[in-house]
Amino acid sequence: MTDFEQTTEDYVAAWHGIHPPNNPARRMAADLTATIAAFEAQRGILQFEDEPSSFETVLREFKE
Amino acid sequence: MTPNELSLTEVADAIKTGAVSAVQALESCLDAIGGHDGAVNATVWIDREGARSAAEAADRAVAAGDALGLLHGVPLAHKDMYYQAGKISGCGSMIRGQWVAPRTATALDRLHDAGSITFAGLNMAEFAQNPTGHNRHHGDCHNPWRLPYITGGSSSGSGAAVAARFAYGALGSDTGGSIRLPASACGVVGLKPTQTRVSRAGVMPLSFSADNVGPLTRTVRDCARMMRVIAGHDPADITSAHEPVPDYEAALTGDLRGMRIGLVTNPGLMGTDEPTVDGIAAAARVLAQRGAIIVPINLPVMDAVAAYGSVVSRCEGASIHARWMRERPQDYAIHLSARLYAGYAIPAVYYVEALSARGRLLRAFASEVFAQVDALILPTIPTVLPTLADTDVDHGPPGTETRFMAVSANTRPFNYLGVPALSVPCGLDPAGLPMGLQIIGRPFAEGRIMAIGDAYQRDTGWHRTLPTMIQ
Repeated sequence: MTDFEQTTEDYVAAWHGIHPPNNPARRMAADLTATIAAFEAQRGILQFEDEPSSFETVLREFKE
Repeated sequence: MTPNELSLTEVADAIKTGAVSAVQALESCLDAIGGHDGAVNATVWIDREGARSAAEAADRAVAAGDALGLLHGVPLAHKDMYYQAGKISGCGSMIRGQWVAPRTATALDRLHDAGSITFAGLNMAEFAQNPTGHNRHHGDCHNPWRLPYITGGSSSGSGAAVAARFAYGALGSDTGGSIRLPASACGVVGLKPTQTRVSRAGVMPLSFSADNVGPLTRTVRDCARMMRVIAGHDPADITSAHEPVPDYEAALTGDLRGMRIGLVTNPGLMGTDEPTVDGIAAAARVLAQRGAIIVPINLPVMDAVAAYGSVVSRCEGASIHARWMRERPQDYAIHLSARLYAGYAIPAVYYVEALSARGRLLRAFASEVFAQVDALILPTIPTVLPTLADTDVDHGPPGTETRFMAVSANTRPFNYLGVPALSVPCGLDPAGLPMGLQIIGRPFAEGRIMAIGDAYQRDTGWHRTLPTMIQ
């Protein structure tokens, strides 16, 4: 088990009281390194004033 | 022609004129189920007695000259996560296997008010969380075209039931492709509306930011009829849009002259094998013959959409399942508890970032794409269809989950973006399994993408081709 995998299991247990239910769960948690890399690649997109409600505004802005 | 050969709109019109009775329509569905559901496994409950009683009442109303709704007497079956007050809604799970719903879903109320008869609940992925149709509790749903192949999920029973003529139409739900994938895999039509277009009240939640209610039907015209009934604001779902609901059927003219349709060229999204790429190219030629201008287009911001989109649904899904994941994780299928587990490790800051960037990314996408084209086309599933065995995470070797998740690679981005997406059958792959043409529009452009799909169906016969087992 890598440090990342161990840290992830410890984090989920500490914050949620949930433990890996099976080996595919451990593999999918280990794959979160790809999620981290994907977020790293997007750094700079989010602006200070952005918030979730802007989504509905843009839906209306671009409606048919 | 037997009632079972009619589409939803055809049978609705025939019931109104008395050419076909509601009882005959219902019995044709029950006969089809009796003949083939032992192999397909699309239904989880059937209310024969209640449905026969409702069909007889519908026929009496026709005879009496009563005012009739748009779906008067039409037998429908729905994914088993649409709540009906006082009835069990198992959501494809063991955990909610005996749970009795306290209310009826608004979408079902509207379908019932239009005269339709709900006569069965349909198999689905456990808690609507897989793209294949595997189900450990009710048994996997099998593709009526070839039983060893996936139906697509999570609305597996909805796709299979409509394809096998068990029902004239069905509701599914779509959080990452769960309407479009079974529509594509089973050779039927499926629409994921614009986010907020249809009320989610009384429907099992998966990811409240990305969940959508929509129909699976045999034809685009059928889909337009159901959408006209279910769309529109609902005070019980404060997130539902106040946009007026057009007469979608009236927009189905077959005329695509001058319409600019973007043929997606992004690697991966354009299809990853020859049959799939060729199938979409052939569909584009059909649309061009109808007068559309086909424009190759590379979609912007797709990497960001993929990164953020997966985080939103995983975190929201993990959040609502936390209690059961603590107390009874063994009652989930392996592939589901594994997927949920990873969601707990994603930091809240990532989740909020993904939600907060959604409007900015939709603006970047829409302003660039819809300045060039009116709609987009791409495969619903980027490859030929895999088998149930190929994608069985619970029993397969490590790495199976990659093949499993690849099924929904072309549908998930449009849930995050919130735009409407339609899947229309567009051919058969070399193994004889259906392929789907996915049509994407700008927000609230359901009418336009259905007009494109309908025009396509006027010149092709894929939606009339029957699965081998019922030919």
